[in-house]
Amino acid sequence: FKVPDEISLLVIVVDVNPIWWGQQAQREQEFTLSKCLDAVMVMGNSHMAMSRTNKLAVIASHCQDSHFLYPSKSWKAGDDGADDASSSGDGKYELLSVANNLIAEEIRNVMSKTEVRGNSTDTLLAGTLAKALCLGQEIKSRILVIKAAEDCALQYMNFMNVIFAAQKQNILIDACVLDSNSGLLQQACDITGGLYLKIPQQVALAQYLLWVFLPDSEQRSQLVLPPPAHVDYRAACFCHRNLIEIGYVCSVCLSIFCNFSPICTTCETAFKIQLPQMVKPKKKKLKQTT
Amino acid sequence: MLLLYFKISPDGKAKIQLQLVLHTGESTTFHFANESSALKDRDATKELLQQLLPKFKKKANKELEEKNRMLQEDPVLFQLYKDLVVSQVISAEEFWANRLGGINNTDPAVVNNKQEVGISGAFLADIRPQTDGCNGLRYNLTADIIESIFRTYPAVKQKYSENVPHNLTEKEFWTRFFQSHYFHRDRINTGTQDIFSECAKQDEKGLKSLVIQGVKNPLVDLLSLEDKTLDEGYGICTTLPSTSNANKTVKESSNSAIIKRFNHHSAMVLAAGSRKGEAPTDQASETSSTDGNSRDSDFFQPPVKKVKLQEAIEYEDLQRENRPKTVALNLKKSDRYAHGPVPLQSQHYTTSQDIINSVNYIRHEMMNYKPNLTEVLSSTAASSAIAALSPGGVLMQAGAQQAINQMVPTEVQGELKHLYVAAGELLRHFWSCFPVNTPFLEEKVMKMKSNLERFQVTKLCPFQEKIQRQYLSTNLTGHLEEMLQTAYSKFHIWQTRRMMRKT
Repeated sequence: FKVPDEISLLVIVVDVNPIWWGQQAQREQEFTLSKCLDAVMVMGNSHMAMSRTNKLAVIASHCQDSHFLYPSKSWKAGDDGADDASSSGDGKYELLSVANNLIAEEIRNVMSKTEVRGNSTDTLLAGTLAKALCLGQEIKSRILVIKAAEDCALQYMNFMNVIFAAQKQNILIDACVLDSNSGLLQQACDITGGLYLKIPQQVALAQYLLWVFLPDSEQRSQLVLPPPAHVDYRAACFCHRNLIEIGYVCSVCLSIFCNFSPICTTCETAFKIQLPQMVKPKKKKLKQTT
Repeated sequence: MLLLYFKISPDGKAKIQLQLVLHTGESTTFHFANESSALKDRDATKELLQQLLPKFKKKANKELEEKNRMLQEDPVLFQLYKDLVVSQVISAEEFWANRLGGINNTDPAVVNNKQEVGISGAFLADIRPQTDGCNGLRYNLTADIIESIFRTYPAVKQKYSENVPHNLTEKEFWTRFFQSHYFHRDRINTGTQDIFSECAKQDEKGLKSLVIQGVKNPLVDLLSLEDKTLDEGYGICTTLPSTSNANKTVKESSNSAIIKRFNHHSAMVLAAGSRKGEAPTDQASETSSTDGNSRDSDFFQPPVKKVKLQEAIEYEDLQRENRPKTVALNLKKSDRYAHGPVPLQSQHYTTSQDIINSVNYIRHEMMNYKPNLTEVLSSTAASSAIAALSPGGVLMQAGAQQAINQMVPTEVQGELKHLYVAAGELLRHFWSCFPVNTPFLEEKVMKMKSNLERFQVTKLCPFQEKIQRQYLSTNLTGHLEEMLQTAYSKFHIWQTRRMMRKT
């Protein structure tokens, strides 16, 4: 039961990591960034077409920055947009064609400004998600992440903060993963109540998006959708980065270790642990021979 | 030990005895054998018991009240109580052992969170006399008003306790009260016959002592509140109106009488309100100062001059904060937090050539990007995606396994939860006994072990049989049994060690 005229915002975060997509284009001609963006546009259009009060935002997550593809600062209502709309010639709902054109223009800008930098090759996903959260402050909103490149472990803290902030604000995070599984996004979906899906066929991205991610949370309860994946919440110890089930946690700095050590290597706090007392064997009394 | 009541042997009997009857029904008899002081001792004990008993009863009731409140507020606790104590798996004492920590330790004044109800300043006006038709007045007295009168005017209360019910009935007392001029506005003619004439005299004394004491607050200057006229030439001090009775007109004197009574009444109401923690029936307070008036003025004492001055010049917010000293966190390897408890992933090694190539490629691709929304999806791709997403498809496999909570009926689930809560409680008691280093703990651990066994027999086994009868193949009680088994083996190890130590 949807309250009429309730604004529902969908924020689509697209991972446009140039290195990954550049390599992808050389691997797989059928599914390139252009194709991916087309599918995203279809998704965005469909969302806006579902209801007059639905709103859309698209953010590109790059390795240099995060960039709003839509809505865009350069959009001035009513001038350039109108011309383009008539030129598309297919009688499309004007809002949709305006949006599409803006997205296309912005992504062209973003990618053309890509520089070659060896040191930052990871997608700045945590930052993008933070921006997405800022959008959905007073209205009902959800975030859909289209993930391409691998997780960046260095963003762990920021990522977790973003996830918990989203949970507090009741913002769902959905994830559609194109390539390698992302533990962080699995946790994000699990904690916020969203859906995590690694798609088997990249070329059918549009179909997966429309089938699984287009319905909002209330509608999903009525549909048969892929069941939630089992999330591995095991932590990795700080000393070896191995996944452990039982470990030791320093009460001062909360670092996790797989073995007990008397001094925490992170914060240098000393710990004493009571060792079980040794039972001293009783000395036998020597019998005196008379 | 809860004392219910006590009995003393009648005076004529040879043996001088005192019998205490406990809550549990047991009774103990004390025989006072000291020939000379037996009677005195026993009577002294009796007095002491009489004084202490009501307080103790109050405390015991409070405990019971608290227990009831806890059981009512927390349904889980209530269920646990039913499961463990009512079915005699553990005793009530053990159950409440850890839970009632706060009751007996705290000061009763603190525990009694009820706020004192103040006295309405208008309580006398609330009496509201009504004419009853034949030249008389009807006064409506409620228990509240009577209480207010007693609290505000202890002198009246004293008179009441002196005269009722020996000399006067309650009705007579109050009739006299209202008839007396003490009550009425113009207290000019107070006949000596009136039982309340003393009260009037006491009031006068009290008022005088109040005036003499004055106000101790240096920031309040009552004298400056007098009417001063700085008219007619400024600075001419007009003589203050004389307060001696001789020069007063009748009207003036009755006015000043009313004002005096008004002030006195307000002072008494405030004093009665600021008397803290005093129950009207508390005997202890009666023994101190019988002159209610002077006592009120004690409570009317404002704080000492220095304190008042300090209050006026210091602001709490601006003081330096007295926070407890903390130790700063000293992180040597803070980079560990950057990646957090995430396992090392095999990193994709990209050469710089790769990077350059990829960037160029993508820039080239996106330079002329134009959305082509009519060819986003081929029908084969779409249908295989749909197949994967349909029940039985590649992506829907995990859902085929029915969740266990859909296969087990809710009552069974509820019962299982109760079993876990009860078992958890017992196991907590059991494990808290280790390491066993006192005889008390030894006893307790053995008792807990037998409690666990009893729990298993009376609660767990019937549950297992029940679910077997319902053909539920899932093993719901495996974990519980595992926990109990761990406890048993620990007990066994402890017992063998103990026996080895003894030999």
